[in-house]
Amino acid sequence: MSDSTIRTYSSDQRQTDNDETVSTPDEDVLTCPECGGQVIDDEEHGESVCVDCGLVVEENGIDRGPEWRAFNSTEKDEKSRVGAPTTNMMHDKGLSTNIGWQDKDAYGNSLSSNQRQKMQRLRKWNERFRTRNSKERNLKQALGEIERMASALGLPKEVRETASVIYRRALSEDLLPGRSIEGVATAALYASARQLSTPRSIDEVANVSRIDEMEFKRTYRYIVRELSLEVAPADPAQYVPRFASDLDLPDEVERRSRELISNAQADGVTSGKSPVGLAAAAIYASSLLTNHKVTQSEVSEVTDVSEVTIRNRYQELLEATEAAA
Amino acid sequence: MSSLADTIHIENVVASSDLGQELALDQLATDLDGAEYNPEDFPGVVYRLQEPKSATLIFRSGKVVCTGAKSVDAVHDALEIVFDDLRELGIDVDSTPPVKVQNIVSSASLEQSLNLNAIAIGLGLEQIEYEPEQFPGLVYRLDDPDVVVLLFGSGKLVITGAAESADAQHALAHVNDRLTELGLLE
Repeated sequence: MSDSTIRTYSSDQRQTDNDETVSTPDEDVLTCPECGGQVIDDEEHGESVCVDCGLVVEENGIDRGPEWRAFNSTEKDEKSRVGAPTTNMMHDKGLSTNIGWQDKDAYGNSLSSNQRQKMQRLRKWNERFRTRNSKERNLKQALGEIERMASALGLPKEVRETASVIYRRALSEDLLPGRSIEGVATAALYASARQLSTPRSIDEVANVSRIDEMEFKRTYRYIVRELSLEVAPADPAQYVPRFASDLDLPDEVERRSRELISNAQADGVTSGKSPVGLAAAAIYASSLLTNHKVTQSEVSEVTDVSEVTIRNRYQELLEATEAAA
Repeated sequence: MSSLADTIHIENVVASSDLGQELALDQLATDLDGAEYNPEDFPGVVYRLQEPKSATLIFRSGKVVCTGAKSVDAVHDALEIVFDDLRELGIDVDSTPPVKVQNIVSSASLEQSLNLNAIAIGLGLEQIEYEPEQFPGLVYRLDDPDVVVLLFGSGKLVITGAAESADAQHALAHVNDRLTELGLLE
């Protein structure tokens, strides 16, 4: 996902550079200029090719991925490139220069006071140059915010990368005016966690966000609609492992919870029920069934689901399992 | 199919009209029997009728909104009564101010439980909105007729945004056809 989007973003960038008045085309779908067919990336040959007519749209493409595997010192020298691979998690994709803070030259010697002052001025102008316009400053702040919330929630790098891509799309489609940077950043992170099957509940995300829950939910629904993100409904089973480990419960409980959930889904009693509530109740029920009892209040504490909800879903899960047996 | 259409029940009709003149709401609120006016909470006068049961909101600009009626006829009747009452107070109201129905909310039922997850995927995620964490219903936006349908796990539906009462029938038929096509109905 992130890989292909980096590519389309860069080609898109070039197009707008050529003609400022051209409206931004849909970033996810590249169409063939000859026949209007779908264009795919042929990674092996470094080309973008039309699936229908075979036209090569772009050749000698650049692989922006890392090239770090070297097995001896010669290879290491040969494969040495300057800098890390590009990433959407930085506002300039990590392509700009950073001036170090140490005030040392290449040999590690301290600079003279004259040079030091010069470097200080250069550093200041470099920083100003890195973020030229308001959109870039906006992006820089938002990506920092995504990074902060993702690490507070323990989300992996792929989720941050996807969230950054979603935020960039929102920014380039002018969805930001009228909404807060924090709000859209929070919504992008929540959506990307859902898309990559590592969902966090709305409460958890709202807890680490700087905006209130209502605004977050509203912004989330808005960007999902405007960007046609197609976020599939979360599966309750995706929450189970995390909750189980937060409660120090063994694998047995986790397995039993999945069973209960799939029984309930087969029985059709999960429609319209919050997946977080179902996961919490499944954990509670299976902890009882496997003699690793945790109390409702402990489960409620960890999952942010009320005890009443746990009791209600618990009944439904057990009934569904009885019906299946 | 006709049996399904029988389950449609109009719950609320909203209509608006314009008196074409500015009103002194303070005066109106004291003269009109049973009218409520709390400018701190709401900028309009609220005038409730028992028969047909409805509430009419009268604004300073002379615009009038009638809500809560259970049918299109009832909303017209209610507005007629309000206009008569205003005429009695000496306000010069046209004999037939234009009344426009803005929204009709109906409920209906498919009379079987639904698997909303499967429906969400089947109908295509770009047309629907299903966030069980936020709201237990599935929101399905139709283009023709231009209405929004809320589907619930129990098989009950709410059809809102309709401009005329036939829209609800069309929407129900459309939803029923689509779900049958997808094999999601028994």
